[in-house]
Amino acid sequence: MSASAYLARGREPRGVNAIATEELQKSYGPVTALAGLSLDVPAGELFGLLGPNGAGKSTTIRVLTGQLRPDSGSASVLGVDPVAEPIRVRERVGVLPEQASPPSFVTPREYFEFVGEVRGLDEETVTERVDEWADRLSYREKLDTLNTDLSRGQQQKVMLTGAFLHDPALVFIDEPLVNLDPLMQETVKRFLTAYRDDGNTVFLSTHDIDVAEALCDRVGIVSEGELVATRRPAELGPDERLLDVFLDRVGADAREETAPAAGESR
Amino acid sequence: MSATRAVLAAMAREEWRLHSRLFGGRRFAAFPVFVALVGGLTAWALSTTGTAVDTVVAGAHVLVLLFGLQTGTVGLVGRDAVEDLLGDVTLVLHGARALPISERRLLALFVLKDVAYYAVFVVLPLAVAFAPLLAFGALSLLWVTLVWTFALGLCATLAGVALATRGRPGKALAFVLLAGIALAALAGVPVAAATPYAFFAAPSVGSAALAALPVVALVAIAGVAYDAEYEPPARTAGDAFAAWRDRLPGEDPLLVKTLLDVSRSAGGVWKVGFSAAVLFAVSAFLVSLAGDVVGVRVLPGVAFGSILGLTAFTTYNWLTGAEDRAVYGALPVETAALFDAKRRAFGLLGVPVGVAAYAVAVAWRGAGAWDALAGLALLLGVQGYLFGLTVSLAGFRPNEFLFDTVLFAAFTVGVAVPLVPVLVVGFVAAPLTPAFALALVAAGVVLAAVGHVLYVRAVPKWTERLRDA
Repeated sequence: MSASAYLARGREPRGVNAIATEELQKSYGPVTALAGLSLDVPAGELFGLLGPNGAGKSTTIRVLTGQLRPDSGSASVLGVDPVAEPIRVRERVGVLPEQASPPSFVTPREYFEFVGEVRGLDEETVTERVDEWADRLSYREKLDTLNTDLSRGQQQKVMLTGAFLHDPALVFIDEPLVNLDPLMQETVKRFLTAYRDDGNTVFLSTHDIDVAEALCDRVGIVSEGELVATRRPAELGPDERLLDVFLDRVGADAREETAPAAGESR
Repeated sequence: MSATRAVLAAMAREEWRLHSRLFGGRRFAAFPVFVALVGGLTAWALSTTGTAVDTVVAGAHVLVLLFGLQTGTVGLVGRDAVEDLLGDVTLVLHGARALPISERRLLALFVLKDVAYYAVFVVLPLAVAFAPLLAFGALSLLWVTLVWTFALGLCATLAGVALATRGRPGKALAFVLLAGIALAALAGVPVAAATPYAFFAAPSVGSAALAALPVVALVAIAGVAYDAEYEPPARTAGDAFAAWRDRLPGEDPLLVKTLLDVSRSAGGVWKVGFSAAVLFAVSAFLVSLAGDVVGVRVLPGVAFGSILGLTAFTTYNWLTGAEDRAVYGALPVETAALFDAKRRAFGLLGVPVGVAAYAVAVAWRGAGAWDALAGLALLLGVQGYLFGLTVSLAGFRPNEFLFDTVLFAAFTVGVAVPLVPVLVVGFVAAPLTPAFALALVAAGVVLAAVGHVLYVRAVPKWTERLRDA
């Protein structure tokens, strides 16, 4: 697809940065969540932000989607400043917040109608995409059950559908595979890869190294609010694993704990 | 440490942390002092206006019974409400599957923990509040009977939950039991004799045994009826979104979702009317108290209108109860648009319910034309003012600040400043002259205007605050 075609669909041409941040800082009282995070994600990339719990992954997504104002630094998402224009950013991107549940007292079908209305989608498009997603994630029979009575996994499917309902050029997804069974995890992984292949950008936050290694074009490792390394899993050497890079940069103590004892094979 | 003691300690710690996280952190520690102060002032005010101490003590028992019922409901069946406030919450009570302890035992420990926790944190300061009215010995007895009453409310919820695990037959039995007690009371059977209040009024072995009977019976029902393997069926609903959107003004999806939330959550839209009915009963009680006990001829329109204006707080509570900010974080929704949807939902639901309750009061008490007009203006004025005040202080979470001592004190002052003078007028200004009535109408308009200003200033304040937290 040509660069002009991408732009016409609201997508950045490949190579242009879909996301760019510079020296983002954010503290919650005495706790520093982001300590000068700088990163670039080119359009058309499936980028993974990998880090231990509390490293600042979710805060990064909240800042980039305009939900949270950073203390300092700058960011650009599809050419829009999320601090100055948070609503415009959220109009253009899809968001799957971490561990979020759909509203308790509406059904998935009603929730998607609600999301469609908020996003200005016509009813036909909503119906078509909901059908497609309900079949993809196998929850059609749950479309008229109150969200509060769905299992965690089913709620995650509903939230995934909501994030992609408007066919965004860029999605932020926080732990997308959590609560899903292995079959569904594979389905979602395949979908994300195909979605990227269509020229879209995916910003995925996870603490699951296997998911990051298997799925992402490039992985950024974040620790204590800073980007400490980036790697392309496909370009790792035969003796190099993402786990080793992660342990080197994030936790020397953890590395010692996981290192094999003398004479033990790895 | 035995498993029982470990679970009890964990539950007590959990209760404290839940409250301190929900309700203003360490400021929650000041809550008992606040209860003692407000309770003491109320008891003193009622007794100095001629209300018998026995009546005030009886009222305190009724309040504590309702509190026990409410506490049990939130703990045992209100998991959705807790999760809406705190996100994904797993209480020790819900952790039976991860612990080598039976659900029955966990339930029993939960009730025991609640009784002990609230006996110290809420009921004790409430009993202390009666210090100006009762001797020390009677105060100690009052504390015992209030705790006993709290346990009665809690055990009633426990029995209700246990019966509900038996499906329709269990629910039918619960209904029959409740109806039986109500009918017995109406038929003149001294139902109150089997309550802890009766023991307080006339302490004896007989009254103690009689008062113990309901608690023992409820625990026995719970023990026999509870089915630990019961799973409630998943609830389904037809697609109402489009139909509601087409019928409601403005075709606003945020308004539609708000009203769907209210109608589908426990109690449906009826809970809005129920809250108004409770305030109606309070108004009726105060009006009859002023008339019969104090001997003042009350303006029913002004009195009912002012007090029913408080429905603004309860209605706003119901309109925001199911709100989850994380959902909106994923959508292009302005915070101001969400507040606007709440305001319009309030106009569609809260105002008509308040006016309907007021109309019943005016018809029942036979208010004069000027009184009725002044009362209506005050109702709408107080509603508008309280809506603005609540949004200003609490944003989208009005239910949280009930136990945040500082915020709740600010709210109490904010309510008392306009309401007390108006109520005093309502209680002493009869017969109402047209000029005075028009002055009260003007007061209503001013209150509504102040409420509007508070609301308008609150929206950008909360928009900024929510983006920084």
